[in-house]
Amino acid sequence: MQGSRGARIARDVVAWLVVLAFLFPLFWWVLASIKPYTAIFAQPPVYVGFDATAENYAVTIGGQSRITLEGGVGGQTGGASSYYSLPSIRDSLIVALGSTALALVLATLASFGLSRFAMRAKDHVVFFVLAQRMLPPIAVAIPLFFIFRDLGLRDSHLGLILAHTLINLPLAVLLLKSFFDDVPVELDESAMLDGATRFQVFRMVVLPLVKGGLAATAVLCFIFSWTEFLISLLLTTGIRTIPVKITTFVTSTGTEWGLITALGSAALVPSFIFILLVQKHLVRGLTLGSLKS
Amino acid sequence: MSTAVRGRTPLLPRWLTADHPLPWLAPMFAMILAFGIYPLAYSIWLSLHQRNRFTRVDEFSGLANWVQAFGDQRFIDSLLVTVQYTLTCLVFQVVLGIAIALLLDCERRGYGLLRALMTLPLVVPPAVTGLMFLLMQDGQFGVLSYYLKLVGLVSPEAPILANPRTALWGVMAADIWQWTPFMVLILLAGLRALPKEPYEAAAIDGAGFLQCLWHLTLPMLSRVIAVAVLIRTIDLFRIYDYVYAMTAGGPGTATETLSFYAGRVFGVANFNYAATLSLIMLVVLNVVCFTFLKLARVRF
Repeated sequence: MQGSRGARIARDVVAWLVVLAFLFPLFWWVLASIKPYTAIFAQPPVYVGFDATAENYAVTIGGQSRITLEGGVGGQTGGASSYYSLPSIRDSLIVALGSTALALVLATLASFGLSRFAMRAKDHVVFFVLAQRMLPPIAVAIPLFFIFRDLGLRDSHLGLILAHTLINLPLAVLLLKSFFDDVPVELDESAMLDGATRFQVFRMVVLPLVKGGLAATAVLCFIFSWTEFLISLLLTTGIRTIPVKITTFVTSTGTEWGLITALGSAALVPSFIFILLVQKHLVRGLTLGSLKS
Repeated sequence: MSTAVRGRTPLLPRWLTADHPLPWLAPMFAMILAFGIYPLAYSIWLSLHQRNRFTRVDEFSGLANWVQAFGDQRFIDSLLVTVQYTLTCLVFQVVLGIAIALLLDCERRGYGLLRALMTLPLVVPPAVTGLMFLLMQDGQFGVLSYYLKLVGLVSPEAPILANPRTALWGVMAADIWQWTPFMVLILLAGLRALPKEPYEAAAIDGAGFLQCLWHLTLPMLSRVIAVAVLIRTIDLFRIYDYVYAMTAGGPGTATETLSFYAGRVFGVANFNYAATLSLIMLVVLNVVCFTFLKLARVRF
């Protein structure tokens, strides 16, 4: 695959073109968020030469009313209250961080168990855990709707945290198990010969070695919870996570593309940072333990 | 095992200690039991009952809901849409995923950045991705529609998402854009873990790139591909967000997937029938995945 100089340049060009093609929708989205309203709909599409504006961010994140911003003119009404999205960002953060923490604790313990002990039905146990993800979101939401109503968990952060944890568990277990499998069992055995208990081995020997894997898993769990839509939509009314909030900007009187793209762009920032931080571990660990023979 | 441990009188039976897998797995299973199995049982109960419209009490109705589903043409149609959606997206994501992973698996400068950029679509909430592609495919002002019209692939009279023949492709474009990077990520991880020796041997034998790909890379990656396909199949089959954001199942029912149909039934408060539809999905998905795991001989 080394090839000639020409072949190398050709590969570079193709690689950049492919990646840029994949980034185009994101670019277009962020660009729309700083365009004045009319420029979003311009035909042919405009890339440069519009008056960039931060108005959409001021309305969704800053909580300013559009009417004040426009000096009282313009057809759209709807003050700060309906488009102000900082509470949604807070709700999403609480739910995503909470469910990530819970899923990580449960999955770490379970995958250590699955990785370190011989079990006859291990494949079936893993498949059973994986099968939790096969429940259609509706199938989870309908019963949880009634259960949470009875438990007083409807429209609560805790309820959503529990639901998201359940969705995240299968992938977290699969990932963490593959990270644990990479740590040689001989390490455990020698530590136990030196008098360490199994739990000490777990906490002081194995866990520090899979730190990167834990970080990568945590980031994936965070992203899945941060982006989850249907269950949040069905289980809450007062609490509005960001994806649910954004879809409320599509109204019967029109779609607020400027505000949608602004909030949508802002919502990407934390996940972007997180995923870039754990990039290295993701590329190493995402074989999902499937290279074993 | 040291003599100190052997000499101690056990306080607990072994299956309650850290030397047995049970305590390690128990917290997770408690969670699954409470919020996975109990809801499942509740769904089954719901599917065997029908709500009396006047007394608003669930009355036992046997398999009436199930029988109704198998005679429900709209359910059959949505099943076909879902299968078409799942298979088409899988093919695109696997083929593109392999091609792009091979392209980006390079140690030269700049490729680390390319790999990082390639993961960015993964962090976009699917509902937002749906809106993103809705904006680009709008018949009047969409940037994608504009260029496709320019080259004559889309006629101005039939916008992509308003035409029953192209609407599903419009929705699938969003899915393929978002999840091909997931395939790339998993396959890159797989490529990194491959042994180098077979390639050196093949190079000595004068094997070309395609021969190496077909006889070495793909067979050695087959397990990784299988697990990735499994995870994607599970998520594709339950697709909801893109449909919700882009077409709401329309035009007509051209893009109505199973999840979306079940959601619509839920929306009109027919919880019993919605539960039945979800259970059918669960059964189909379980059978498909279990068979696939057996055929692909994946072990965990």
